[in-house]
Amino acid sequence: MGSYIGRRLLAVLPIFLFATFLTFLLIHLSPVDPAEAYLAASHIQPTEELIAQKRQEFGLDQPLLVQYAQALMKMCRLDFGTSYISNQPVWDEVMLRMPATIQLAFSSLLLAVIVSVPLGFLSALYKNGVIDQISRLLAFFGASIPQFWLGYLLIYFFAVKLDLLPVQGKGTLANLVLPSLTLAMGLIAVYSRLLRTSVLEQLREPYVLYARTRGLKEKLIMGKHVLKIAFSPMLTGLGMNMGKLLAGTIIVEEVFSWPGFGRYFIEAIFNRDIPVIQCYVLLSACLFILCNLIVDLLQMYLNPRISWKGRTES
Amino acid sequence: MFAAKGKAIAWISALLLILSAILSACSSNSDSAPASSQAAGQGDKVITFSWARDIGEMNPHVYNPSQLIAQSMIYEPLVRYADGGKLEPHLAESWTISPDGKAYTFKLRQNVKFSDGTAFNAAIVKKNFDAIMRKAENHSWLGFIAALDKTEAVDEYTFKLTLKQAYYPTLQELAVVRPVRFLGEAGFPDDGDTSKGVKKPVGTGPWMLADYKKDEYAEFTRNPNYWGEQPKADKIVIKVIPDGETRVLAFEKGDLDLIYGEGVISMDAFQQLKDSGKYETGVSEPVGTRLMVMNTANAALSDLRVRLALQHGFNKQAMVDGVTAGLEEKADNILSTNFPYTDISVTPIGYDVEKAKAYLDEAGWKLPDGKTVREKEGKPLELELIYEKSDQILKPMAETLQAEWAAIGVKLTITGLDLTEQIKRFRAKEFDLNFSSNYGAPYDPHSFIHVVAENDFGFSAALSNLPEKDHLVKQIQDALSSTDEKKRAELYASILTTLQEQASLVPISYIKKTVVYHKNVSGFQFPANREEHPFNSLDIAR
Repeated sequence: MGSYIGRRLLAVLPIFLFATFLTFLLIHLSPVDPAEAYLAASHIQPTEELIAQKRQEFGLDQPLLVQYAQALMKMCRLDFGTSYISNQPVWDEVMLRMPATIQLAFSSLLLAVIVSVPLGFLSALYKNGVIDQISRLLAFFGASIPQFWLGYLLIYFFAVKLDLLPVQGKGTLANLVLPSLTLAMGLIAVYSRLLRTSVLEQLREPYVLYARTRGLKEKLIMGKHVLKIAFSPMLTGLGMNMGKLLAGTIIVEEVFSWPGFGRYFIEAIFNRDIPVIQCYVLLSACLFILCNLIVDLLQMYLNPRISWKGRTES
Repeated sequence: MFAAKGKAIAWISALLLILSAILSACSSNSDSAPASSQAAGQGDKVITFSWARDIGEMNPHVYNPSQLIAQSMIYEPLVRYADGGKLEPHLAESWTISPDGKAYTFKLRQNVKFSDGTAFNAAIVKKNFDAIMRKAENHSWLGFIAALDKTEAVDEYTFKLTLKQAYYPTLQELAVVRPVRFLGEAGFPDDGDTSKGVKKPVGTGPWMLADYKKDEYAEFTRNPNYWGEQPKADKIVIKVIPDGETRVLAFEKGDLDLIYGEGVISMDAFQQLKDSGKYETGVSEPVGTRLMVMNTANAALSDLRVRLALQHGFNKQAMVDGVTAGLEEKADNILSTNFPYTDISVTPIGYDVEKAKAYLDEAGWKLPDGKTVREKEGKPLELELIYEKSDQILKPMAETLQAEWAAIGVKLTITGLDLTEQIKRFRAKEFDLNFSSNYGAPYDPHSFIHVVAENDFGFSAALSNLPEKDHLVKQIQDALSSTDEKKRAELYASILTTLQEQASLVPISYIKKTVVYHKNVSGFQFPANREEHPFNSLDIAR
């Protein structure tokens, strides 16, 4: 198993290189000159000499590959340069805002799991029953509504009309409810249906029949066997949706004035704060890869039929 | 096998436990909502406001990301910009200007103290100027900084600045929010270089920064040492709310007492709040003019008749009303008349399609049979309009022009650009038509005529091929270095009239600020300076 993780981590390397190179290339292909962006952001009237001076300072006069290698070396030391806007190291700025985003992402993930597991399971057990119908409705709603719109709706009803929760900001648990719900809605829609389908599939498996004929209690069959195996596709979904969750925090943080990384990224885009943009894309890629790895490992624990060997060979 | 399953359950529960632990740790760590309502004593007047961005470092000598509105609460200028461009004494009680227009001597107000109780005097003014001039290259966009030769503290309350050459807008530029405002001694870093940061925000202004949480809120309380009239409110809370719609919802809930600024909420939202009748709303005097700059280096646009035809060829009133929902006003003057020296009478170029066609025919741009685009010597009349693509107002305006000009036989290509790209092409004069605007108070009219005359700026493309160019540039230079008020007024009238007649700068609409507040808020006035805060006169009944 150790070697498997090792190999998976090794496989991360080319993906990492590809992600960094792509962002690097995109930024350099865009018509925005980092030197000019810097001067504009600093409110300095750009003159030809100043631009040339800044280009040299940023190493923009070097060949592209040399620039890339230099940037890569710095990244390995967690040096993402200084923000054009605040003149602070990008890493510090990001770390300042990361906890808020992680808090939001985890709380919505938790909410999504807490809601969608019973919902999906029950709607499979009572197929076409009331719970199933409700869950279907919720799924349509959750999957099709744009996140910002859902956010506004929730604010409008729960904060403005009913006056139960705060409109925006961070601080208390009450502040966390609406943004988490907004983010979780899309996930609940997908996971509850995914789990339902998967449970229904498992119920048709011979082992369920066998267990029943053995006279095992229905509770035991469901809880100990069916749910556990049915959980597997949902877990894969969780891993794949981490990216969606990250993109979602950008919108939700903006709508709910949540002081996190996503909102900072938006501001960086508006200000053409290139080092920040670069750092964001890179961290997102890393997080995405890492989440997928964790999910894969979890999968193997949950479903022993997926063997280490089979994995490593494929 | 059972052992493996037991492990799996343990794994999941462990994961959930970790998640919830992190969650609860995060939420208990950050118990930090602004305590505005509960912390303020009973009967305290707290006004809550929102801004799209964090206020940034409260340093009077730096720019972005520090926010002007908050900087102007803490720091004050020597001279204040009042309605209509009148310049009033502020930290300076009076001033004299030498006959050659180079030396400005200021008598400082004597009863002024910084918020920490230290005295405001010529020495600290000098120290601030020294700090600013250490990074003069950052500030040379201000004409008087570029012209500044030396500064001296003549005696305790007399401060003198000397310019290399006469530059009349000096007083007006001293009214800007940054960088020429004054930090107290305690705020200076040891090496005196404020460009790298200040120790603490000590100013002479009516407000002090009392509490601050980055990206969340800032709280300002009254400065007990304030020399002038104390503000009515006890406390101003600025919450950071980046999204306009959320701002409206927070306002409707009563979390915010007022919404104020340029483009801070959508035009629809403003209209809706206004129509509800539940709130007070207002729009300001023009703070600037949306302009379309015609590049006269373009062969077609070098002809006055073509420029006039284009101006006659679209219904400006309908376009401005339609696109801005009446929040902006159709503009006929290049610079609105509420700036100094700009109150000239102009003849509006009205909407007249027949006249437009006639001008184009006269200029030799004829419509060949069976074609929709006019031609001259085999070349079609095609123009490109560039604009900033994220702007909600410019895009529909560009589309309107495209449709209207098609009707007079002009093919308009519209190109939405990234902001930096647009600025770059504007400066390099690689455009036929471009949307831009002037700077507003307290920068105009002098900054505007300066950029029109300077070859380094895109605005000067409007002059490139005018027969009057040399004369205009000379007049502009004379106006900026003039020392005689009457002569200057005449020069401005002549310059602006010529620009209007030459029709290469097209006034589109006057940009305005908006305000919405609850009925228990009173005393609101739009500040004359576009970048100042409006909080001093505000009062609130609880």
